[in-house]
Amino acid sequence: MTVTEVTRPAAAAAPGKHRAAETTNLPPVRGQSFAKLVGIELRKSLDTRSGRVLIAAILALAAAALIWQLTHLDPGPAAFDGFLGAASTGVMLILPVVGVMAMTSEWTQRTALTTFTLSPRRVRVQLAKFVSAIVLSAVVLTVTTLMALAATAIAGATHGDGTTYAGIGGALAGAYLTTALNVVMAAAFGAVIAQTAVAILVFFIAPTAWSLAGPALFKDNAAWLDVFGAFGRIAERDLNGMLPETLTSVAIWIVLPTVVGLWASSRREVK
Amino acid sequence: MITVENLTKRYGSSTAVKDVSFTVEPGSITGFLGPNGAGKSTTLRMLTGLTPPTSGTATITGKRYADLPNPGRVVGVMLDAAAQHPGRTGRETLQLSASLLGVPKSRVEEMLEAVGLSSAAKRRVGQYSLGMRQRLGIAGALLGDPAVLILDEPANGMDPEGIRWMRGLLQDFAGRGGTVILSSHLLGEVQATVDRLVVIGGGRIVANGSLEELLAGSGTLVRGLDPIGLNQALTAAGLSLEPLTDGALRVDAGAEQVGRAAAAAGQILIELRQSDGAGLEELFFQLTATTDLPAAA
Repeated sequence: MTVTEVTRPAAAAAPGKHRAAETTNLPPVRGQSFAKLVGIELRKSLDTRSGRVLIAAILALAAAALIWQLTHLDPGPAAFDGFLGAASTGVMLILPVVGVMAMTSEWTQRTALTTFTLSPRRVRVQLAKFVSAIVLSAVVLTVTTLMALAATAIAGATHGDGTTYAGIGGALAGAYLTTALNVVMAAAFGAVIAQTAVAILVFFIAPTAWSLAGPALFKDNAAWLDVFGAFGRIAERDLNGMLPETLTSVAIWIVLPTVVGLWASSRREVK
Repeated sequence: MITVENLTKRYGSSTAVKDVSFTVEPGSITGFLGPNGAGKSTTLRMLTGLTPPTSGTATITGKRYADLPNPGRVVGVMLDAAAQHPGRTGRETLQLSASLLGVPKSRVEEMLEAVGLSSAAKRRVGQYSLGMRQRLGIAGALLGDPAVLILDEPANGMDPEGIRWMRGLLQDFAGRGGTVILSSHLLGEVQATVDRLVVIGGGRIVANGSLEELLAGSGTLVRGLDPIGLNQALTAAGLSLEPLTDGALRVDAGAEQVGRAAAAAGQILIELRQSDGAGLEELFFQLTATTDLPAAA
């Protein structure tokens, strides 16, 4: 059916006039840099009440652990690694949730529709989410570390036994490495599963189930897929001559889900 | 300018959209109509790069959607106003997009003002009504000062005042040279807003043209003092006609022809005019009814 164009009088009056002439002069169009995407993803994790509550809860947990530690001091100099351990145990347990939610929340809340119409190159956006989750966890861990430092100082000052920072480098390196690995693994699970609750459940249960079932089924060979063992060795920065086992575990539990997750989320139908 | 050429989408063995082609020119509003499941949303999603087509192309201002460096600056899209994070405030929702589009924060305030959400900007979207979410979605679509608007069911959930407001906004946008395509199931609203129609049924385009042409009635409506006598006179003159329930006749002939035939028989006319269009609703069912039959596929 071919038809003559019917235009409204107003349209005929200003055919050559560009629309922008009547609106604010906006800056010229630029592409979206990766840094900008990361910045926006960081903002998204903190600009909702649930996002802020999650971070606040993690820090509150660290504070509670430190206060308990301060009120139950052992004799002797206040040891930083003791305080860091107390503060970061809970933090490292919950931080992966930040990673999962970075990948799943847009699908659960359906904001993926807006996100991927504004940024059609999905893999870039998903990678920005990985980076944002790592940055956010590092920041939370850093705040936790500062709290542990403050607690150490307070303990040293109030008890007069002085302070010791023995092993601070190793403790911190271990904490940051483990956190980064856990968060990336969690984000990968989130990218594959895309449902917050299910992804969190699988993230916490699957490796534990394997660490229980694996040795029974495969005896010593289970170490090839024991991701907790691998994380432990990486955190201690001593692979105990188990480099191939460590790499295999990381490949299976982190690299593989990351690749599958990026592939799946770039093809997933946005509802 | 939107160009859709031979777009086809198959899911397994079923074909959601088959060989769809149409263009939407600058300065016009095109209504995209079809029953549920006819392929409207699938077409709009292929147009916006969310769903890869099985074959065919869709371009906006000559480029594939995914090739636009910053799509929101060229095309404003609102596919589902309900798909917004309930925990974010209206203002924050727009500021996130503004940051991605590279437009200043002042633009966010302008758009909030333009859609009448300034006073609700601090509230979380979870507390918004559907009509308010539509307004927020439209503000988001307009944020990058695009040349093209793609809106899926924008009037859904709006009150009559909101619908009138949106009609004015879209007509103003098109009047300034913008290109608009909108889908809607509110046929009366579509009839009052759009210049052109693309009707899709069973995944295929069943009509594509200007509203006037598609709705133009055929034939002449005539009413005589003596309906039976007039009927006989016109039939005798060889004109084909159809009696209407109120005593008028719809004749497949021009007014002059009908008038002459009546005069020759001495029939007195009390009404003679071009027949009304069937109306969008009737047209809609007429065009899409057959495509719903399973046998038609």
